[in-house]
Amino acid sequence: MKRRAFVSAMAAAAVWPRVRPARWGAADFLLVPMDEAQADHLKAYGVAYRVLGRQGRAEWFLNYRNGSFLLPADAGTVRDAALAGVTALPVAAAEVDRIRGELAGTNADAVPLEKAPRVAVYVPPGTPPWDDAVTMALNYAGIPFEKVWDAEVVGGRLPAYDWLHLHHEDFTGQYSKFYLTYAGAPWLREMVDLNTRMARQLGFPDVPAAKKGVAARVRGFVDRGGFLFAMCTATETLDLALAAHDVDIAASYADGTPMAADAAARLDWSRALAFQGAALETSPTVAQFSDIDGHQVNAPGRRQPLGAFTLFEFSAKIDPVNTMLVQGHRQVIPDFYGLTTSFRRARLKPGVTVLADEPGAPWVKYIHGELGQGTWTFFGGHDPEDPQHSIGDPPTDLSLHPHSPGYRLILNNVLFPAAKKKELKT
Amino acid sequence: MRRGVRARWTGVAAAVLLAALPRGLVAQRPAGNPIQQAFELERRGDLSGAAAAYRALLAGNPADLTALLGLERCLTASGRVEEMIPEVRTALASAPAPTLYLLALRVWAGAGLPDSMRTVAERWAATETDREVPYRAWGDLLLQRRDLAGARRAYTAGREAVGRPEILSAELAQVAQLEGDFVAAAREWLLAQRLSPGYRGAAVAGLAQAPARQRDEVRRALAEPAEPEGLGLAALVALKWDDPAGGVELLRRALTLIGPRGGADLATQFTADVRALGTVEARRALGEGLELLAERRSGAPAARTRLEAARAYAEAGEVGAARRMLDRIAGDTAAGGELAAQAARTLFEVQLAEGALADAAATLAARGAAFPVEDRAAMRLRLARGWMRQGRLDESERLVAGDSTVEGLAVAGRVALLRGRLAAARELFRLAGPFAGTRDEATARTALLALIQPVRVDSLPALGEAFVALERGDTTGAVTALDQVAGALPPAEGGASLALYAAELTVARGGADGERRLRAVAASGIPATAAAAELDLGRLLVALGRPAEAVAQLEHLILTYPGSALLPEARRLLDRARGAVPAT
Repeated sequence: MKRRAFVSAMAAAAVWPRVRPARWGAADFLLVPMDEAQADHLKAYGVAYRVLGRQGRAEWFLNYRNGSFLLPADAGTVRDAALAGVTALPVAAAEVDRIRGELAGTNADAVPLEKAPRVAVYVPPGTPPWDDAVTMALNYAGIPFEKVWDAEVVGGRLPAYDWLHLHHEDFTGQYSKFYLTYAGAPWLREMVDLNTRMARQLGFPDVPAAKKGVAARVRGFVDRGGFLFAMCTATETLDLALAAHDVDIAASYADGTPMAADAAARLDWSRALAFQGAALETSPTVAQFSDIDGHQVNAPGRRQPLGAFTLFEFSAKIDPVNTMLVQGHRQVIPDFYGLTTSFRRARLKPGVTVLADEPGAPWVKYIHGELGQGTWTFFGGHDPEDPQHSIGDPPTDLSLHPHSPGYRLILNNVLFPAAKKKELKT
Repeated sequence: MRRGVRARWTGVAAAVLLAALPRGLVAQRPAGNPIQQAFELERRGDLSGAAAAYRALLAGNPADLTALLGLERCLTASGRVEEMIPEVRTALASAPAPTLYLLALRVWAGAGLPDSMRTVAERWAATETDREVPYRAWGDLLLQRRDLAGARRAYTAGREAVGRPEILSAELAQVAQLEGDFVAAAREWLLAQRLSPGYRGAAVAGLAQAPARQRDEVRRALAEPAEPEGLGLAALVALKWDDPAGGVELLRRALTLIGPRGGADLATQFTADVRALGTVEARRALGEGLELLAERRSGAPAARTRLEAARAYAEAGEVGAARRMLDRIAGDTAAGGELAAQAARTLFEVQLAEGALADAAATLAARGAAFPVEDRAAMRLRLARGWMRQGRLDESERLVAGDSTVEGLAVAGRVALLRGRLAAARELFRLAGPFAGTRDEATARTALLALIQPVRVDSLPALGEAFVALERGDTTGAVTALDQVAGALPPAEGGASLALYAAELTVARGGADGERRLRAVAASGIPATAAAAELDLGRLLVALGRPAEAVAQLEHLILTYPGSALLPEARRLLDRARGAVPAT
């Protein structure tokens, strides 16, 4: 469903049927505020998701109290909110009518949420859940997901899901370019063994070739109507792998041959989702991939300091998709590093929507776009609550960050596919 | 609409492309002088172009080091470094220099030409006064490529060329370590020690990696020549192997050989290293090391070191040795008043630790005047707590009588509690407030106050006896006494909270009926107490690896007591039990 059709569907959507749910005191509904009154912003997404999982219906009040949810006041939802420690205010139907009037008169809107998206996270087997911001957010909010990796992707399992997340996978097949720096480290050895075995099992000559195959199938998933959300290295390397479909861009330690001497010139950017015209990082010892990333955290002499990024404001009624993706209670959010922290403006394809940037800086943080029947969203950085993230850092405990505005952006992406009006797959 | 958008973007893209085209074309040809152009091509990743540009520079000046190094970078990144052999040969022929020899070694290494490396190293050595340098460079390059046999040949050739057995011993030690032969490494490190004591740190760090099966032999290789260097090294390595007792014995032997005036640097390093080990055995070794160090010092520094040794011995429970040190300080005229006071303070600590409270009281009485008033008061309170732990409440009470500080009131309150005088305890705890003592002490006091608050009698000696048993470390006796008192009180008037306390003590000592006790209190329905019991149950079930039951229990707590102050903690534990947050 393309954006115009989606907007039309929103406008045409009937206001919530006035079937009275089981009453909770005098309440007809629960309003889950997402402003400063909310006790746990992140778990609120889980409560809304589980309503959909129980075949219930919910509404997302975009830009109303920082993106609040209207949920049924049934016993299950009341119990769920209480257990999660989520602030949920009982409201009568008349009060809901008043809110709808307020939505109509401001840059706000009500988006019906109808279907719990089936979520897949691309992650190697055995990876601890604490090394991926999305997995942490999903675990903390209590949103169920399944793990997929190369075998499932190449084996054609992606159509079983609505939403796919990629995190810090290196789709150039160079083990995040840690191969030389961390040579001998047990975790790296395991990573190399695992990837090499999987590539062979799937019939690819080497790991870079296998990852290109995976990247192509991920692209196909989006093209056929899937929702893709990627963070950190996955953003940049996915596009590099797509653009390098018939060019060797991997160092010799990864595939036995050095990077093609004219690799940068031969990249086919028409296959990429977000970027174009990037220059490749040719040194096998510098853990950066190209000049797409603005911060170059691992490139001595090129590393840029962290600032803060600002979310753009969109028209809720005309542009509900982008509005959903930027719902938050903070407009300015401290930046955080990842192997890919940000995206240089000069490398963005025309047509890419910037959702957040650092004003005055030559890079942006959070971008969105469409491909075929689906959409993709890229968010730079590794962990919004661990700005300097390094290998071996202790895991982030989200119960200490229940109001994290950065993690809210991730969860906006998880819930946004629920707003679709019809089945996604063709 | 989609077609319209595409058409619009195509137009925009075409405009952008046209606008960018001239700049793009210009950007293909970097401006500046030839070397800058070569750098720019290299920076852009055009390695072939950059290599050609560097070669063009070398055509004019075959010994242009900047161009040679640039060419090396480009070809190395492309895996074609052997292609620059002709350029390197030409450069060496025209202007041989150490930097060029080193470059030649790198190129030959990259090309896999070990014989040529030897030739270059020998040619270079013939021009060097420091003859081992070329052999070290040759070996290092092979070591980086994990060619251990080749590296060994290079270093050995260097040793033979110079004609001294200790030359390149540190390098050969590293090769031996990488080969897994730590005994050979130990012998080489011994030679390196003779060359320079500065190798001691590297030797210790390297030999620390020796596997357990080689350690005895490594120790013998170091210690059997019975030389101070080897014994000292062995002492330090023993610490890395977590053997402080063995280490201190080796240190003693090394210092005996060195003599009474030397070896202070070795003893200092030993005591610094052993401090990092947290075991009782390590504290004992620290005491011995400091005692040996003190023998090598004089005057006030010696007295200070003995004081440190006394503290280390005291922490290790070596009361006799601690006293020996303190006696030496007492008889040392070089120890000033301040040092003597510190020694008396340490003696007091030792006496407290060994439970010799009468002796500690005597020390305080005899030397108390030497301490500042605040320290004296703190020591008196520590003594009072010591008496309390022994159940000597009269002595304890006498020490805090008339003490109106918050710390004194807190101790007096605890004495009152141990006597069962609940009204007095409540009042004294209230007066002491939340700031007396450490944070842990304040928390514990507040918890005790909450425990006795609902008990509506002013005096309950049986409860005091339960706490006395607890002070003595008799948890079983304390639980039995608490059960009796709790059973006699109505649940809402302290019965439930005392039963919960008894249950918590049972769980803490791993008692089998802890869960049953907690469930009984949870079922009492007394709001705050039952909620606390449910939270304790949740914790216990998580600890017992029964997360599903913990989840059910915690959900019950959250839904049954929505106003409880324990809910944030319960939700956090619920997240842990569900695996939603890491178990930190």
